[in-house]
Amino acid sequence: MLEVENIYKSYGNVKALNGVTFSLEKGETKVIAGPSGAGKSTLLKCINLLIKPDRGRIFLEGEEITSPNTNISKVRQRIGFVFQEFNLFNHLTVLGNVMIGLTKVKNMPKEEALRRAKEALEMVHIEEDLWDRYPSQISGGEKQRTAIARALAMDPVLMLYDEPTSALDPNLAAEVLQVIKELSRSGMTSLIVTHEMSFALEVADEMLFMFDGRIVHAASPVELLSNPKHELASRFLRLGGGNGFLG
Amino acid sequence: MTSYSFFLSYIPFIAEGALWTICLVGGGIGLGFIIGIPVALGQVYGGRTLRYVIEPYLWFFRGVPLLVQLFLFYWGLLPSIGFKLDPLETSILVLGLRSGAYQSQIFRSAMESVEKGQFLAAMSIGMSRGQAMLYIILPQALRISIPGWANEYAIMLKDSAICFSLGVMEILTRARYTAIATGMALLPYLFAGIFFILLTNLGTGILNMAYKRLRIPGSIGV
Repeated sequence: MLEVENIYKSYGNVKALNGVTFSLEKGETKVIAGPSGAGKSTLLKCINLLIKPDRGRIFLEGEEITSPNTNISKVRQRIGFVFQEFNLFNHLTVLGNVMIGLTKVKNMPKEEALRRAKEALEMVHIEEDLWDRYPSQISGGEKQRTAIARALAMDPVLMLYDEPTSALDPNLAAEVLQVIKELSRSGMTSLIVTHEMSFALEVADEMLFMFDGRIVHAASPVELLSNPKHELASRFLRLGGGNGFLG
Repeated sequence: MTSYSFFLSYIPFIAEGALWTICLVGGGIGLGFIIGIPVALGQVYGGRTLRYVIEPYLWFFRGVPLLVQLFLFYWGLLPSIGFKLDPLETSILVLGLRSGAYQSQIFRSAMESVEKGQFLAAMSIGMSRGQAMLYIILPQALRISIPGWANEYAIMLKDSAICFSLGVMEILTRARYTAIATGMALLPYLFAGIFFILLTNLGTGILNMAYKRLRIPGSIGV
């Protein structure tokens, strides 16, 4: 469903991505781990075309999305993106945030958009009493779940999560991770950048370790736990992800 | 007839100047708005060529005194290109061009204060740059601009008195005529001042009310 072939991206002399290749089957969940500056975020942003790779090709459901005549808007509608900083639209209510893509991008009639938005909000467990609140009136965890609902409402075939809980306290992070896990279990194809080790081991079909713009190691959680032979991987397990992992 | 009652008979005459002042300021702010938004968009999102056009514009209209601009346009620039505008029209044009330069900077800082992440998020759900601008950035930037806009109104209202130099029949021009006709100085100019204070507070009051009403619930501010 997603094939990433030999992606390169440089900023001046800095090679952010240095030949990344991997694939993701329908319904699969993979977690990308690695120190900051490894290129994890850049990779995700290349996949939904927020960043244009210098070289390499990306296929979504068999169609090359890196080709010049791709309809970028259509591709992005099929890929949900969840940002570390939530990036909710501050002037819109929770419901408004989830609906705007449906009414303005998909040109859905209002009643249908409303129904679809409510479904998406229910999937992320945002209760009805929050629907009319504005982003500044809800907690960080609620913001991130609303952001997930905004992406889900567009009916994506793939969800990308860019460190979705890094800006949250552990207790708020837990409710967000729970939602991501439920979505993944229900068959949503997901690619997640995270430092949350126990979550990663629980949710991932495969873990990809990135370093210096490359995937240096790939292993399933079972393989990792039984035989963490790669240095990065074993450090990840030992230090429990998070900041310790960055050292 | 005492000189006081003679003066009182001139009050409607001065008051009528308020309509002209409102005309100057309304026209100037309106024109400035129409110019200011694209200029701000050009500065934030435009390429280098566009910036080369915008820079001299800002440089001129923020750098040259209003009185000089008025004389330059009325006596110099417009006649030399064979364009005939009356004093009121020239004044509105100059006030508008000048205000556009200032308003563009109000909008620019407001647009830049909307986090870039929201723009990315809009793109990520498939919006075009134009849609992201229209539905996400502008509605927030316009709200943020209102206090700056109230400020611009208050400044322009008082600057508009300078248009007396072209003989526009606004408040100050009429106060001056009244002073000449009645031989008094204190009362006509005092009344002119009172009219300006009333108009300033009326306008900023309305804008502050709009700001409170349109404020995004839960955001910082009044």
